[in-house]
Amino acid sequence: MSTMVESELAALTAAKVVDARGSACPGPLLEAKKGIGAVSIGNVLEIWSSDPVTKTDIGAWSAKVGHSFLGVLPAEGYERVFVRRAK
Amino acid sequence: MGPNGGVHEVADTEKLVILVLHGPDDPEVATIPFVLAVAAMASDVEVVVGLQGRGVELAVKGAADSVQARGFPPLAKLLDDYRELGGRLLLCGPCVNGRDIDASSQLVENAEVVAAARFVAEITSATNALTY
Repeated sequence: MSTMVESELAALTAAKVVDARGSACPGPLLEAKKGIGAVSIGNVLEIWSSDPVTKTDIGAWSAKVGHSFLGVLPAEGYERVFVRRAK
Repeated sequence: MGPNGGVHEVADTEKLVILVLHGPDDPEVATIPFVLAVAAMASDVEVVVGLQGRGVELAVKGAADSVQARGFPPLAKLLDDYRELGGRLLLCGPCVNGRDIDASSQLVENAEVVAAARFVAEITSATNALTY
């Protein structure tokens, strides 16, 4: 699945936001794993991370476990990573 | 549990065995395998961490408390995460005995002291095995 453009991401309403800022790998991934369980299938989890490798890590994780990686939005000092729960 | 102590002869899911031979005196190399272990478990991969040589010292209560590799989470945090995800630590029996570690009182709760055949069974039933 291709990722969304920034305007599409900015228009998303996440069902849950996980703040993993300040956490080093694999902390944000683990928070995503925990957070996705609190989101219904079809809804969006948003992960905040100040670790620049998180976006590629979450992308790889999403592909591995079968969720949809939607993309990344830059924020002030961190990034907003979006995943749609698919199963 | 099967006749070989709970090890399936053929992996029906992905399984990763990670052998760790470095102890608290080598923070980065002692930490990286637990980063991988936690990431693998978060990705629905079964993980078994085997501690051998100085690696068994990582399973002594309190030993990881001061282990912090630059750029990584504290090792104690990773060990907690690994345990909370259901991760197991298998310790080489001779390595424990050779260090006068009291397995009945000094080890963390998810540690299990085993012998060579158990390691062989875990490795041969895994889809991949890594050594650090």
